[in-house]
Amino acid sequence: MRIRCPHCGERDNGEFSYLGDAAPVRPDGPNASAEAMHDYVYLRDNPAGLHRELWYHAAGCRSWLVVTRDTRSHEIHEVAPARDVALSRRRGEVA
Amino acid sequence: MSDVAMVGAEKLESIWKPRSAWAGYARAGRHGRTGGEAGITLTLRDEVGLATLIVADGKEAALDRALEASHGWSLPEAGRAALAGEEGLIWSGPGQWLAIAGTRRRLDGLADAVTGLASVTDQSDGRALVRVSGPCAREMLSKGVAIDLHPRAFRAGSAAVTSIAHIGAQLWQRDDAPTYDLAVARSFAGSFWSWLSHAAAEFGYGVEHGPGR
Ligand SMILES: [Zn+2]
Repeated sequence: MRIRCPHCGERDNGEFSYLGDAAPVRPDGPNASAEAMHDYVYLRDNPAGLHRELWYHAAGCRSWLVVTRDTRSHEIHEVAPARDVALSRRRGEVA
Repeated sequence: MSDVAMVGAEKLESIWKPRSAWAGYARAGRHGRTGGEAGITLTLRDEVGLATLIVADGKEAALDRALEASHGWSLPEAGRAALAGEEGLIWSGPGQWLAIAGTRRRLDGLADAVTGLASVTDQSDGRALVRVSGPCAREMLSKGVAIDLHPRAFRAGSAAVTSIAHIGAQLWQRDDAPTYDLAVARSFAGSFWSWLSHAAAEFGYGVEHGPGR
C-alpha cells in the first residue's frame, strides 16, 4: 500500500504510522458527560467502506494526515494535511 | 586538580579537535569490487554548516524576503532544494528547511537575520553528511530508498526526507551527473555507514575527505 502525502508525494506505507479514526473530537473536559467521554475514548465505528483516519508521516515530512481509505479494498480516495482539516473544523466548516 | 586544568591554553587548543561524524567507520581509499573504475565515490563532508529553520505562522513571505536580503537565498518549494554552489536551503517539511553552507561561519548571523520570522537551530554537529557520486550513484541509492530516483521523478534540485535501512535520511540531488548529498542524524553514522559501504561494495567505491574545517 502506498500513500500519496500532500507534501512528499507517493510513499511506501512503512514510512507512516497509523493512529485510527479521524472523526472523534475531544469533548470539553470539565463539562463533558461521562457518556460523551466514554464514547470519545473507547467507542469506534468499524465501517465496511470509506473511513477517514489519521496517519503520521514519521519517516518523511513528520506531518499528520487525514486519509480517506476504503476498508474493503485499501483504495485511498483522499489525503489531506490534518492541520488543514483541524483549521476548517475550527472555522465551523464541515470537515 | 585535574590534568586538563593544569595544562596551558596553548595545550588546550590541541586537545579540542573536531571529530568527524564518520570517524571510526569510514576509511579513505578504494574499497569493494577491485579492478576498473570505481562506480561510487563517497565524499565525507565534515566542514559544512547546517541549521534548521522553522517558519513562524504566516511569516513565510517575510522570511523569504529576509533570507534574500541577508544571504541571497530563496525558500524552495516542497520537495526542492535551492542551492547556489555549496550553500542554500533544502525543504525538510511544511514550513521547515535545512540551511547549508560551505562553513559553519557562513551561518553566523542567520538567527539574527530572521528574528521573529523563524526559529533557527544549529545542526552542524548534529548530522553526518556524505556526498554520493560516480557512474553508479543512482543505481546504488535505488537499493536503499523507496522513492523513485528516475530523472523523470527526481532530478537536480529535488530533495526528499525518507528512510534508508530504517534510518531517517534527507537527500537532495545536486546535478545531473547525478551527484547526491545525504544527511543522517550523527548518532546513526555508524549504522548508516554499514548500509552504505555494503551497498556500494558491488560497484567498487572510493572514500575521500571533503575540504577540512
Ligand atoms: Zn510527507
